[in-house]
Amino acid sequence: MMMRRLRGIQTPADCGPGFPGGRRRGRSGGRRGVKRLLMCLSAGVFFTALASSGAAQAADAGDNDSQREVTLRVCNWEEYIDLGDWDEEETIDLDSGDIIGVNSMVEDFEEWYYENYGIRVNVEYSTFGTNEDLYNMLTLGDTYDLVCPSEYMIMKLMTEDQLVPLSEEFFDTGEGNNYYINGVSPYIRSIFEENEIGGKPWADYAAGYMWGITGIVYNPKLVSREDASSWKILNDPAYQRQVTIKDNVRDSYFAAVGAIKSELLTSREFLEDPDYKKNLETEMNDTSRDTIARVQEYLQDVKDNAYSFETDSGKADMVTGKVAANYQWSGDAVYTMDQADEDDYTLAFAVPEESTNIYFDGWVMLKNGIDGDASKQHAAEAFINFNSRPDNAIRNMYYIGYTSVISGGKDGRIFEYADWCYGAGEDEKDVEDYDLGYFFSEEDREPEGSYVITAPSDQVSRQLSAQYPDQEAISRSSLMVCFDEEQNRAINQMWINVRCYNIHDIPVWVWALAGALAGMLALMGIRKIKR
Amino acid sequence: MQRRTFSRKYLGIPYALFLILFVVAPLIVLFYYAFTNGQGEITFGNLTGFFTDPNTLGTLFYSFGIALVTTVVCLLLAYPTAYILATSKLKAKSVILMIFIMPMWINFSLRITALKEILTWMEGNLAYHPFLNTVLGMSYDFLPFMILPIYTTISRLDGALLEASRDLGAGERETFLKVTLPLSLPGIMSGVSMVFLPAMTNYVVLDMLYNSTYIMGSLIGSYFAAYNWNGGSMIALILLGIICLFTVLTGGAQEENTRGGALL
Repeated sequence: MMMRRLRGIQTPADCGPGFPGGRRRGRSGGRRGVKRLLMCLSAGVFFTALASSGAAQAADAGDNDSQREVTLRVCNWEEYIDLGDWDEEETIDLDSGDIIGVNSMVEDFEEWYYENYGIRVNVEYSTFGTNEDLYNMLTLGDTYDLVCPSEYMIMKLMTEDQLVPLSEEFFDTGEGNNYYINGVSPYIRSIFEENEIGGKPWADYAAGYMWGITGIVYNPKLVSREDASSWKILNDPAYQRQVTIKDNVRDSYFAAVGAIKSELLTSREFLEDPDYKKNLETEMNDTSRDTIARVQEYLQDVKDNAYSFETDSGKADMVTGKVAANYQWSGDAVYTMDQADEDDYTLAFAVPEESTNIYFDGWVMLKNGIDGDASKQHAAEAFINFNSRPDNAIRNMYYIGYTSVISGGKDGRIFEYADWCYGAGEDEKDVEDYDLGYFFSEEDREPEGSYVITAPSDQVSRQLSAQYPDQEAISRSSLMVCFDEEQNRAINQMWINVRCYNIHDIPVWVWALAGALAGMLALMGIRKIKR
Repeated sequence: MQRRTFSRKYLGIPYALFLILFVVAPLIVLFYYAFTNGQGEITFGNLTGFFTDPNTLGTLFYSFGIALVTTVVCLLLAYPTAYILATSKLKAKSVILMIFIMPMWINFSLRITALKEILTWMEGNLAYHPFLNTVLGMSYDFLPFMILPIYTTISRLDGALLEASRDLGAGERETFLKVTLPLSLPGIMSGVSMVFLPAMTNYVVLDMLYNSTYIMGSLIGSYFAAYNWNGGSMIALILLGIICLFTVLTGGAQEENTRGGALL
């Protein structure tokens, strides 16, 4: 087995400035640097082409009246699906067969759907930048059938009764094309089943797509692993102006809560409590007035200490060495480390001891899009299933760099891919076993140790630990729930207090200067009028 | 048979349509949101909220500060440049002018990225000087907007006035202060309004140069990210009001000088 091969030219320049909003993922563009740049330039061209190919198909369908056409409006994160057109040498040569993205996933889906169900489907594919953007788009009246927001936005949409539940057929494990239910990791499935909104589990409405955790990417030459393993690094004076933090409320809030409660969260008493997991989630989602006040104080401190709040520049700044550590989502962390590797520059990833934010992006169907149309719902669910087919999940993972929720079930290819990426070569001496049983094992069906990757030792603190966090990191992961309106208002106010210049902070000399300036202008004005 | 009359007025139709669709309609929406609350009831709460919140006022002040310093820096750089260029007898004047305008042909975020690298090379760590960097970035970005109008006014100055001033015994310095400078005031005004107003809202430069303090543009963005369209619209509206006020105050000066701007 060989290490994951990396190709493509690094593009340190950002595609464009970001908006200070919620979580933005997938912009990393994954492994394929060249593609990313092209994408920036020609996303428009691509979608125009897509649309016209769709139109061509529509024309085909028109020739034969017995053929109905279904239009499926999908809205996903930017660069969050395989757009195809790989070079031959990028083929993922697993023992069980080669995997390569020739066409875009969307085109492949249209073809696959026609072959399987005899109905032409025309996918209108569009993208969004942040969860908040998506929500604003929906509020403004954009209609989509299938969207892929993060878990907290799914919770919000569920609360607002905007979603269509997944059909019973979708969960039928006997059906061969139901790749999602037959392939989703049991670990992810249990999370989707255990978490409820209004008495209904997420699983009724949402099918997972990608997932990950948050952590710190750091330069091991400048930052010790111990320091990087705590959220407190963000305001650590030892790393003054050397650490970046995410420029959005939720991620900053999570890190700040982790930092201010660090002592409690890492205390033995807390860790050994039988209700640890539940307590952890309560603590990390604490929005009491006192906590918000402390978070504000902490973040103000961070603002004075950190390099910056970044929307999109953190990855590049890490690779170019402008900063020593960077708060990052695991998928982007993988991308950052990959990019650094290309420059023979080593970066590592640490998961803070206090807690890590586990997040999911999932497919949900919208009521105002589906509108009771069974054929539409069928196509939407088929789209989820098609993307969950192990080879397609691998294509998406390879292309965007995040981790699919699919473990493959009876199909071993996902694990094979993980091993293909990170497994050590036969001649490598310094190796370590890395157990991913929690993610891949089907409820005790397989003996322990069936899913162990023998990886080069350094991978345990690098890409592998970001793409597939180990059991230990998972054990201290916490979901961040969807806050209600009042909590949101308090937290957003806190955020504005942190980010805005308070008028009371203006020093006297500035007031004096401003006064003098205004006086001068007024005097000039008066003189002009007198003349 | 009736002859179809073609009046030049018809040529304005596309523009009028454009205005209605992309200027008037959004403005109406903006007004609607600014003066309603989340439930769609009419309220002035957003307006009073803006002027009682120390954060929004502070942000307004901070944006003003950045815009003011940027404008002064631009003016100090642009006036001598434009003056020398306009009064010199160089044949290649237009070429030199082109060199100043050329950066504008390069993508803006690319330019700021390049500037970021240069500043990092000079300062080591950008994060220690967020205000300075922002001002530098904005000045770099907006300088051509200041040079061009000043250049056009100075080069269109009536030479006879300068000669008369000298004939009447004024020295170089006096001529400049009493004739050239007052007569180039329209150019300065037009340049100032072209630099000052964008500098108040251009949060992208701020973002890319690691300034974590919000200015007006980023504040509006954060309101929308928090689904507070009403508050965000009100801030946008207030900004619009400031721009209008500014334009009225400098209005007389600008009219003569639209040609300079058209060059851009």
